[in-house]
Amino acid sequence: MSFEMWAEKYRPKTLDEMVNQKEIVERLKSFVKSRNVPHCIFAGPPGTGKTTAALCLARDLYGDVYREHIMELNASDERGIDVVRETVKTFARVRSIGEVPFKIMILDEADNMTSDAQQALRRTMERYTETCRFILCANYSGKIIEPIQSRCAPFRFTFLPREEHDKYLKFIAKNEGVKLLDEGLDAIFEVCGGDLRRAINTLQAAASLGKPIDSKVVYSIAGRANPADVQKLIETAMKGNFIEARKQLRDMIQKYGVAGSDIIRQIHTEIFRTEIPEQWKIKLAEIVGEIDYRLVEGADEEVQLSALLARLVEAAYEMKGAKKV
Amino acid sequence: MYSAWAFKHKPKTLKEVVGNKEAIQKLVDWIKSWDKGIPKKRAVFLYGPPGIGKTVTVEALSNDFKIELVEKNASDYRTEEAIKSFAGLASQYGSLFGTKRIILLDELDGLTGTADKGGVKAITDIIKTAQCPIILIANNAYDPRFSNLRNYCLLIEFKKPTVSEVLSRLKTICLREGIQAEENALKFIANRSEGDVRSAVNDLQALAQGKRKLTYEDVSWLGYRDRQEVIFTVLRMIIYGKTCESAKRAVDMADMDIDMLFEWIYENVPAHLTDPHDLAMAMDALSLADVYRGRIRSTQDWSLVRYVIDFMTAGVAMARVNTKTSGWTPFHFPARIQMLSRSKAERAMQLEIGRKIKRRCHISANRASKEVLPYLRIIFKNNVEMAAGLAKWLDLTPEMVDYLAESEEKARAIKALLG
Repeated sequence: MSFEMWAEKYRPKTLDEMVNQKEIVERLKSFVKSRNVPHCIFAGPPGTGKTTAALCLARDLYGDVYREHIMELNASDERGIDVVRETVKTFARVRSIGEVPFKIMILDEADNMTSDAQQALRRTMERYTETCRFILCANYSGKIIEPIQSRCAPFRFTFLPREEHDKYLKFIAKNEGVKLLDEGLDAIFEVCGGDLRRAINTLQAAASLGKPIDSKVVYSIAGRANPADVQKLIETAMKGNFIEARKQLRDMIQKYGVAGSDIIRQIHTEIFRTEIPEQWKIKLAEIVGEIDYRLVEGADEEVQLSALLARLVEAAYEMKGAKKV
Repeated sequence: MYSAWAFKHKPKTLKEVVGNKEAIQKLVDWIKSWDKGIPKKRAVFLYGPPGIGKTVTVEALSNDFKIELVEKNASDYRTEEAIKSFAGLASQYGSLFGTKRIILLDELDGLTGTADKGGVKAITDIIKTAQCPIILIANNAYDPRFSNLRNYCLLIEFKKPTVSEVLSRLKTICLREGIQAEENALKFIANRSEGDVRSAVNDLQALAQGKRKLTYEDVSWLGYRDRQEVIFTVLRMIIYGKTCESAKRAVDMADMDIDMLFEWIYENVPAHLTDPHDLAMAMDALSLADVYRGRIRSTQDWSLVRYVIDFMTAGVAMARVNTKTSGWTPFHFPARIQMLSRSKAERAMQLEIGRKIKRRCHISANRASKEVLPYLRIIFKNNVEMAAGLAKWLDLTPEMVDYLAESEEKARAIKALLG
């Protein structure tokens, strides 16, 4: 077993190594061949290879010294307009020395940029096209402003097909000398839903237990690793244990820094998946919507969300009563 | 099932009532006078600070004299009509077939505001023609609202019992509960109560329940929570408040920052409102109060604070519909406040580790701290070797190792491997 992050260790280095997203990879290879890259948007769910593709492209283009020609910026760490103005501009305007006349700026999580920052970015992109090409990675291209979208070649990344996913994980397991059972593999796919980074992290954490990886191990890892276990939160509330549910919520917000808006979005999704009478789903959606609105106006996320939890407790109580009648 | 000692050990007879012998004698004389015909004053007005046994005395009186007690609370006479509805009761006493009865109007302080003005007048009217004894209870009989009413009543003041009177009551309870208590421990509680027997008994229960022995050490820390006693009273007034007005008044008593009071209410409401509907209503009220806090923040219009107060006090008080007052539930210091400072440091640490991950893993520090760090935590807990390898690869500081390992022992083992 090796002692680094496997997700990093097994990240493909070149476009040839990338097994998935075949069509995208072919197009990227043609960019390398012609030594010309347009501005790009890589859009798709997490763990589907957006950053990897950008890095592979750069390595194929510049060789081993690719790091000198690229810059990686994470919009969620530095999303302000000043960063775009200063850092991006400074990097973009200086011409690269070498065969390829431009540098590449990889903007990760670009959908987290404020729209002001995006406006500033748009002008920078236009002005320094000669010296710098941008690759914007985002979960939703819809959150990128229209003028930027129209200047970029769009690439849509999708989840790995099940066979690719399995092949990849089996390869890692074998290489690391880990016993991965079929049911463990099924469980990983189920909890990670094709997000390869999460899948590999789950595999590594499971491997650290030092026993064959079955579904039970995977579920326990997934449960412990997911601070925003909204499903469990709803379950606790529906069982009528408000005080415990509020404690779970508090841990999510305070200990793990999960945003209230993320939690309520997940609650909304989860409600339609929960096994409750259909009429109740829409009733609950109304309550969630109201609290979502108050969340914007209110001062305290935990207070608002726990008011929602109290309504869930109440709803579950009424449902039980209705069944008896 | 816990039951409140203040309730369980309530005096059943007048002899058991703590202190106020003089006042009790006056009351007994007056009730005896009814046997000789209707006295000049058809009502008595008992007044004095809370928790010194006014209501208890009347209940014991009805026990001793075998007179039926008809009890009315402030919520029963909020309007003139409500009062008239029980006026009929007052029209006879000791008739041939009916039993004797006393009508008790408790918590008269709860009658406030313009809506209740008719209420005081209606009560006065009933007293004027009452055919049976009426007893009124309030903390302050000299409130201007009662000026006319006072003319028709015999005023009896209840004073705070002395420390030794409270002490002997506490001893009786300890005896009944089978608790061996040190004399100075009970004296400490009695002293602190300042004559409020009910709160002394509550304190005793909080400290001694489930114990065989009670020592001075057990109670001495009480001294540090004098302010806490005030806040407990305030919370009781809010969560168990029967009128909006009385719940709102609690804010003046609290003598603390509104946000802090909000935290106390927010913390304690769930344990006290056990009915899901009541709880949802109360939490909804707190949610609305919070919306107004948000509006104050965004508009800087502090006059909106009155709505924050409305919802967090009266809104919570009115939520209590189905929950029954049963058992004894303690109040707690807001856990969130204690947690806040701890988690602030924790999140800073998480982000620092996130930055380390970012340098290696092409992921933002933010996301790394949420999506990768939890896996590290599992690995650090389970596999010392892999943890040491990762610590090296990520260039983690010893503090980060401590944090991820969560146990000292594990952290030491990992650091030993790191050399």
